[in-house]
Amino acid sequence: MPPQLRLNAVAFVSSQNHPILIRTFSQPKQDELKYHYIAHTSLDVIDERITAAGATKSTECYLGLLYVEDVAVYGYMTPLKVKIIIALELSDNVVRDIDVITISQALHTAYRRSVANPFLRLHAPSDNVTDHAVVVSAGSQKWKLFRERVDEICRAVTLPAAA
Amino acid sequence: MNSYPPELLAQLAPVMFVAGLDAPNPQDASATQGTPSKQQDPFVILKHRLREALIAQRKVAIWQPEKAKVFQAVLVDTDVRFPPRKLPPAEDQQFHPLHSPLSPLTPTSPLYPDGLIAPIWIRKHTTLVPSVFVLFKRIYEHPPAPPNLSGTEHADYDREREAEERKRDTELSAEIAQRKRSTNERSIKLTAVLMASRRMLDDPALDARLTFIRRQSGLDPRAALFVLSPVTQSEIGDFVRSLQEALYEPALDYYSNHSKRVRRKRNRHSQGTTLAMPLSPLGAGNSPRPLRPEGWTVRYEHKMACFAEFRGEDEVALKHYQDAYAALLVMFGSTAILPPRTKRWAEAKVLADCVSVKICKLYLYNNEHSMALAHHNSHMRKFSDLSRGWGIGEETFEFWSWLARQHRVFAELLEQGVRTNLKIPKHLPVPPPTAAKVAAQAAAPQRGPLEADALRALGLNPTHALQHPGFYYYMAAQCTEQRRERFLRALDSESSQHVSLSPGFSNEKKVDHLAIALELYTRAYELFKKNSASQQGRQQLWIAYRIAQTYFESGKFDMAVRFFERIAKTYRREKWDAMLRPLLSTWYACAQQLGDMELSVHLLLEMLGHRLVIDQDDPESVQEDLLAVLQSTVPSNPEQPLIVDLSESGPLLDTTTIFWTSDISVGESSAFQITLSAPPLPPISELPFASLSIYFADDLPPIVIHDASADDDMAPPLVQRVALGDLRPPQGGEDPVPREELRAKLRWDPGSSLILTGSLGSDLPGTLSVSKLVLTLKQNTWTVELPLQPNSPRLGLVREPQWLRSVTPIRFMPLPGEVHSSVTIHNKPHRISVAVGHHAPAYLGEEFPIVVDVTNTDDRELEIVVDVLLHPLEVEHAVSSITFDGQSSTSLIKGVTFGTLAPGVNMSKTLLLSVEGAIGDRTLDISVQSQTTSTTAPPPPVTSPDSPPLHTDTSETLRTLVIPSVEPIKFEQTVKYRRSTKKAAGLADIATFEDDFWDDAGEAYVSTVMTCSGQSGISVESVKLVRKDGPRAKVVDCFIDTDEEDFLSEWLSGDEFCDQCRIALSRDEESSPEDLIPGPGHYEISWRRLLSDGSKGSLSTSSFSLPRLEPPTDGLIALLDIPSVAKLHSPVSMHLIVRNNRPTRSANVVVQLDLDPVTDGFIVSGLRQGRLPVLMPGAEERLTWNLIPVECGYVKIPKMKVTDRRAVIDAQLPNASGGKAEGEDVAVVDVRMDVQPGDGASAVVYGPRTGTILVLP
Repeated sequence: MPPQLRLNAVAFVSSQNHPILIRTFSQPKQDELKYHYIAHTSLDVIDERITAAGATKSTECYLGLLYVEDVAVYGYMTPLKVKIIIALELSDNVVRDIDVITISQALHTAYRRSVANPFLRLHAPSDNVTDHAVVVSAGSQKWKLFRERVDEICRAVTLPAAA
Repeated sequence: MNSYPPELLAQLAPVMFVAGLDAPNPQDASATQGTPSKQQDPFVILKHRLREALIAQRKVAIWQPEKAKVFQAVLVDTDVRFPPRKLPPAEDQQFHPLHSPLSPLTPTSPLYPDGLIAPIWIRKHTTLVPSVFVLFKRIYEHPPAPPNLSGTEHADYDREREAEERKRDTELSAEIAQRKRSTNERSIKLTAVLMASRRMLDDPALDARLTFIRRQSGLDPRAALFVLSPVTQSEIGDFVRSLQEALYEPALDYYSNHSKRVRRKRNRHSQGTTLAMPLSPLGAGNSPRPLRPEGWTVRYEHKMACFAEFRGEDEVALKHYQDAYAALLVMFGSTAILPPRTKRWAEAKVLADCVSVKICKLYLYNNEHSMALAHHNSHMRKFSDLSRGWGIGEETFEFWSWLARQHRVFAELLEQGVRTNLKIPKHLPVPPPTAAKVAAQAAAPQRGPLEADALRALGLNPTHALQHPGFYYYMAAQCTEQRRERFLRALDSESSQHVSLSPGFSNEKKVDHLAIALELYTRAYELFKKNSASQQGRQQLWIAYRIAQTYFESGKFDMAVRFFERIAKTYRREKWDAMLRPLLSTWYACAQQLGDMELSVHLLLEMLGHRLVIDQDDPESVQEDLLAVLQSTVPSNPEQPLIVDLSESGPLLDTTTIFWTSDISVGESSAFQITLSAPPLPPISELPFASLSIYFADDLPPIVIHDASADDDMAPPLVQRVALGDLRPPQGGEDPVPREELRAKLRWDPGSSLILTGSLGSDLPGTLSVSKLVLTLKQNTWTVELPLQPNSPRLGLVREPQWLRSVTPIRFMPLPGEVHSSVTIHNKPHRISVAVGHHAPAYLGEEFPIVVDVTNTDDRELEIVVDVLLHPLEVEHAVSSITFDGQSSTSLIKGVTFGTLAPGVNMSKTLLLSVEGAIGDRTLDISVQSQTTSTTAPPPPVTSPDSPPLHTDTSETLRTLVIPSVEPIKFEQTVKYRRSTKKAAGLADIATFEDDFWDDAGEAYVSTVMTCSGQSGISVESVKLVRKDGPRAKVVDCFIDTDEEDFLSEWLSGDEFCDQCRIALSRDEESSPEDLIPGPGHYEISWRRLLSDGSKGSLSTSSFSLPRLEPPTDGLIALLDIPSVAKLHSPVSMHLIVRNNRPTRSANVVVQLDLDPVTDGFIVSGLRQGRLPVLMPGAEERLTWNLIPVECGYVKIPKMKVTDRRAVIDAQLPNASGGKAEGEDVAVVDVRMDVQPGDGASAVVYGPRTGTILVLP
């Protein structure tokens, strides 16, 4: 039985490094801003990892442990360069890469399904200049389902017994 | 690290005392050497260099993982004294063993009675007691003997010298012996180094003297006596190295002995703990308890760890440090053993922290990063737990101060390590093992090392992932902030309750927390900067933000502002609004503190742009603040408007600019709408905007809309429309028409919008767009300009473009598809029609006419100019050219003018394309350029003669033609050859020297088939064979000469005509028979194309030369010449010419005539069988038979066999056996049928059966 993971926060960042959605699950809610900073600083490490991966021609999406503060921050980048940043609560246990990859892939799927929502583009001008704006708007307050999917993943991670 | 005693942290190395290297005093120098210049004394230099070399080789440091055999050298006096080893008992107490003055058992010791171990103990071993003692001494050197000594004098000198040397050596030995006694007491190795001059080294007496000194002084036999003469710097390095090499082992022995001693004591102690515990002599009830057994364990383990460290045995040291640490934890676990907040407790805490650092360091030496980090974390966790018990838990500043110190020490340790050899691991994910690797793993019998690998592949414990020291500095800084927070809370409660909370509190008051935090953040910042590979430096920005916050809290607002400026740039660009919000509000607070009103206005506007609400209950606060600032203050420069560009951050008003169409023609207009809408929150309705200017990208003058809100008190409607009318750029030189002043209410209630409608057009082609909108805010002396983008995208907000359809009621219509933000104006297209007429394909040799017909279907007069480009053709021999309007070219004809065409007028010109050489498609580009004749507006004056006037209204119509070309007449020629039966002229024949001598070599027959292959027919006007007789060939006759009339007619497609031409051939000695003979003439056909309307085209001539001739050559040949018809019973002659055409070989020819009496229809007279005379090359022999036919009809000629024996004879020469000689058959050719095809290679060979003769009765 692998040790249980606790998700503290999840961040989706667009290819141009604009935040799409930052969701925090840590119990004292006052730290929400902290995870914004964590997500933003992680982009540095992600840049570094991408450069390293580019040198070795690796196409791996999972970027591994980015850094440790009072949470362990993991990174994942989709093929379309949307970064998914996961903050796990620190515990003195080995975190299996496969677990983090599974969570990342679930989050990626949630994101993909939300972006595929045709209503997202209903009012968008048809020229693809604003495509990035459409992608970013997936995380806006208006679209509840994306949040719900992410929250559900968090619940599934934190309560594996229920799953 | 500075907060801990350096002795407890520094890396230990064996200690070497070095004596006798002190700078010499002047008397010594003058007494020994007597040289006036002390600088030149080689021994002074030698000592100086030795000192340098020994001291410089090792610096006391915490991080020193190298294991070179290097001593910590301490320079001492020659008569240095060691500290007393064991104190004699204070009183006469026989029962007590002796104890060191630092022992807790010694009442005078600082540790008495229950101290653990003091830094002074380590200092004793690093500075007061060495493991080896090196004594440098000069050996006595007698002055050299004067050169002119007699025998007795010499003996005297020797005796004197010996006595003196013996005396001095004895003194030296005594000195060394005394030192030896003191070192022996502590079993310290003593080594003497005797310095002698180079001359002395060669002295034969030196060995004996050294042995004497060693014996006398009682030095060890091994590695105890060195002799050194003044040498160079590098040799000194070698000496120091070899000296240490030799002494390293004794040093290790020394520390091992210490370890053994301590281990013995520990074992004894742990066996009989309480019994051996001596009671203090002052054992009164109130005195503190003596040191407990756990304490002794800590003491002994720590000592052993130190000795192991001296020996360089890191593993052993680590083990003992861990034991000491474990014992310390046990002690801390009980308040009875170590009562909190006592002196001993504080000492023990320092010791525990230091031991912990040492353990981390030793792990890191061995690259066990995760072990080191795990220990560091567990140390902090355990002592956090303990702290709670001690009443200095997480709510106290003491705890956070301690925690900050732990992080900081760890960071400093890493920083030192990184500077030398420590590598921080990169926690890159391990790629999943490949199938091959898994298979190899399964197959491998030993699984030990691979399993560790597999563990890593599974994952990583994040708490064991070592990072660069910047992170730990950052954590230390955060802990320091926590510490400050707790301190401030304590300060509050102190002021309210007037009670002193803890003893450390007054000390804490003196601490400048912010300065510490700032220092830590700055170090973290530098390390992040150094370690970051990203150019953005977002991690640095985060630290910089913390630095700025700290500056803000410590009141250094100007510094904070500088940081904020830099940080905000990236956050704005990457649209991390959530992070910008606290930044902006702190920044604004700074600006307020600094009294920088421009910055305040800027920041407040930016906050409005970010939709930032500082106080959720009072969303108006930002606007109110802004109004208050504008009303109550004066700008620093009232003349200059303050420009606040919010394009990087969010704009104050959301703007969209839409053009109805993106392409219009000159003179038309495109409608546009500019929408400026206010956000629902925060309100900006009170902002006193004075005007709105609209700037266009073209020459259009800007439009200014003035505020009309003062006109009445009515609130502006939700959607306000202002018509701007039709806008056009002014014509050159013409003054813009003064417009009436536009007025609108420039106030925006939440969610309301102002829509500017109008249309835009121009009389000149170009692109028109709105370049920017500028809102001007005016209040008292303040003038603030807010430039806005014509289209402001707001992140995460996708809006459908909408077009205002009506104001009452408000109706919008969505604009699907692409949205135009600019309009392009084109000239009206010219309507001309271009028709190109021709009858492809073109015939080779013809001037092919192409009619270019231009009709002006426009309603303007157009000037037409045509260019024609002929593309080059990549085919060999292809030649083509064009002729148009009198110009000829092979590629481009430019500027053929068609003149000015009035509307409806049409004009055509004929372009001639001449195609020659080879067939193939010719490509032509015809460009028809039209230009309006500017009768209405004269063209603007041309500024530069080179550049055409910019506003000429031209357009171009392009046509591309592909003209295939074919041959009008296809020629097919076949050639046949015939041998000559004439006898060749003899060698000396005088006629051969005549100029017109024709050396007959047979004839060639050329038959030519001319086919009309083109689509349309041609009318042939003349056909002739133009003769061009050569030396080897000439045309004898042909049909055309006599029968030309038959050819002159209209040839239609597929018609064929044939001509036969006879050519006489001649031998030529100068040209070899292999050379081809050029055709002796060509056909020339003049023709006209038959056009579809029945007329005929221009006269064209095609010419085709006769083929090149290649008469066949043969070697030995027999030609049979016989008439075709004979009369019964009248004799005919039959001739056989045997001709040897071989260039070198002669021929030996046998002729045999086979007469079959049954079937033959002839009576033959002549040679039946016989040998001809030998035929030399070039010679021929003629045989004649008379035949009388006896049968009618086609009668077969008698069979004839001609054999050349020559080759056979050649072959038979080696063996002279005669036998029946078989020869080589010679071809017999019937001259009547001698026609050979022209390829020459295979001549038709007639066998012995030749043809027949028609015998008539």
